[in-house]
Amino acid sequence: MKFRAKIVDAACLNHFTRVSAMVAKLAKICTLRISPQTLNFILSDKVAGGGVSMWCELEQENFFSEFQMEGVSAENNAIYLELTSENLSRALKTAQNARALKVKLTNKHFPCLTVSIELLSVSSSSRIVTHDIPVKVIPRKLWKDLQEPTVPNSDVSIYLPVLKTMKSIVEKMRNLSSHLIIEANLSGDLNLKIETELVCVTTHFKDLGNPPLASEDASQDRDPEQMAEVRIDIRKLLQFLAGQQVNPTRAVCNIVSNKLVHFDLLHEDVSLQYFIPAFS
Amino acid sequence: AAAMLKCGMSGSQVKVFGKAIQALSRISDELWLDPSEKGLALRSVNSCRSAYGCVLFSPLFFQHYQWSTSVKVNENDSKTSNLNCKLGMKSILPIFRCLNSLERNVENCRIFTRSDQCKVVIQFFCRHGIRRTHNVCFQESQPLQVIFEKSMCSNTLVIQPRVLAEAVVLFTSSQEEVTLAVTPLSVCLKSSSDEPMDLTNSVYSEMFVGPEEFDFFQIGVDTEITFCFKELKGMLTFSEATHAPIAIHFDFPGKPMALSIDDMLLEANFILATLADEPSRASSQQSLCLSQKQKRSDPMCSPNNNSKTGKNVTSKAPGCILRKTAPKRLYPNETQIDIPVLENCGSPIMKRVNGGDISEVPESSISDTEEMPGSSYLRKFSCMFFGAVSSDQQEHFNHPFDSLATASDTEEDMNNVGCRNSFNGTAANYFCII
Repeated sequence: MKFRAKIVDAACLNHFTRVSAMVAKLAKICTLRISPQTLNFILSDKVAGGGVSMWCELEQENFFSEFQMEGVSAENNAIYLELTSENLSRALKTAQNARALKVKLTNKHFPCLTVSIELLSVSSSSRIVTHDIPVKVIPRKLWKDLQEPTVPNSDVSIYLPVLKTMKSIVEKMRNLSSHLIIEANLSGDLNLKIETELVCVTTHFKDLGNPPLASEDASQDRDPEQMAEVRIDIRKLLQFLAGQQVNPTRAVCNIVSNKLVHFDLLHEDVSLQYFIPAFS
Repeated sequence: AAAMLKCGMSGSQVKVFGKAIQALSRISDELWLDPSEKGLALRSVNSCRSAYGCVLFSPLFFQHYQWSTSVKVNENDSKTSNLNCKLGMKSILPIFRCLNSLERNVENCRIFTRSDQCKVVIQFFCRHGIRRTHNVCFQESQPLQVIFEKSMCSNTLVIQPRVLAEAVVLFTSSQEEVTLAVTPLSVCLKSSSDEPMDLTNSVYSEMFVGPEEFDFFQIGVDTEITFCFKELKGMLTFSEATHAPIAIHFDFPGKPMALSIDDMLLEANFILATLADEPSRASSQQSLCLSQKQKRSDPMCSPNNNSKTGKNVTSKAPGCILRKTAPKRLYPNETQIDIPVLENCGSPIMKRVNGGDISEVPESSISDTEEMPGSSYLRKFSCMFFGAVSSDQQEHFNHPFDSLATASDTEEDMNNVGCRNSFNGTAANYFCII
């Protein structure tokens, strides 16, 4: 198994650093999947994660000036590594004014993702910074649990409001309740509701717009005013929102009534899918 | 007459003063105010005596500075003593919080204390006619001081704080120790490789800096020293307030290192113990000296090595002594102690001390002795002993143990007094001040 890649463009480096920081906020431990065309950050819906799952994908050629990988075998040309997300994020943050950044898979007593950074210092001499991030190589037999989740047929699909606004509202609601109901309809209305013994609070967002219907059949018969709702753990929603430092290029929320909410975001050229199951 | 300190400073000086206190708070929970003709020294020593910090503010730093010693006249002689003032960091640190706002609002700050009162009065004269007075009780305690000959170190680096700050950013705050590795061609700061590698968490990081980035670069001996990260960070935050370069003086592993800042108005010195290399061949005697790192937040603590008795001492009791100063009357004989372990390690001093008579440390000075498991953990930090500061420096130097005899009766000084009996000295080159 081999992997080496290099970033020389400052904008690409900053973007990659931001993606890594976002992943670090969403998943403490995640899987990095390396394949010839893409890099994925994956969190699978294990009970440990509370049923939350995440699939983040980026095209490697949008970031790396050099990219070489050799997977486990020719038929299975991928590498799956488990790592502590924050380690990668922190290492990348030290590359603020780097001339070049290299990432490679190494074996230093145990497998590591080695990030080497050539920093340009004020005195115009180079400083070399190296971080060895310990990783665990995930064996082939576990790969099936780490595949791209199938996008469910949702009852309602709606564009999200500004995430920062949503986050500050959910933060306040979190003080009052541990569950939250997200409901939306095909008329561009989205509500965030909490209900406790003492108080009910609802925040209404209107005119958000709905993405064009994917399939003709199912949603045709649906009353546009009818709300689809799902009750979720508020902390999971908050964790998701906290990870979005920048407002995405595109943000869609898909609700499967009483089952699941699926957030589908696009940050420039990086796609993020985040699934929060209904609170059981 | 009582010993006294009276000084005043402006708002911007308060910020520097406060930063010094904050930096010293990383070393320990106690702070000595020690005025002398050289100025006002703030001193701090950690509980296991492996880190010491001193910031000396020259009289010129202050708007006004007055101090005096107390004179006790007995029948035949008179004894002068300093203000022996020890403050709790918990009391004084909150007063110097929010330094930026202090700098903006405080026009004048006055500090006043007398040894016959039991408090230090700190007054802030702020804008809008507001006056804030803090009374902080102090404990009478003779300050400890480390004697460290910076000029005798074979390696000296002087660097702008910014460069060090950029290196420090690489390491997480959970990193306890860092290693500085130097050759005449390069300097590398890296995560210490001592700690057990925890797969989920420990990233190994290193940064190479070329000699041209240093204001002064003198490497006499290729070496790698490992020391406590927290204390380095403490010094770094202080250096940001002074904008002066930081000098790093060090030799070989085991010998303390000094981080210092010297600008016209103040002099700051942080003396840190460094990890000593253990020899590859350990005799049974030696293995009893092996210590385990304490699992608490203070990574530098090393139980004392009582090689003969096999007992070890908790962090409260001092460990070994490593400082080169001129030999004095206490160590007239240069006899080599027969040490069963040969050294191919970097710390001959450690060995001699280990082979020496530490076993004579009286029980009473040791608290909480525990049986030392035969540990395979081969490294330990050396600790430092300190001399009590007496008003007559020369007298102290010649009769260091005498000055200890006059130390106050607090428990830590009891430890010191107890331990000094043990050390009968070995090679003349190494002077132990306990």
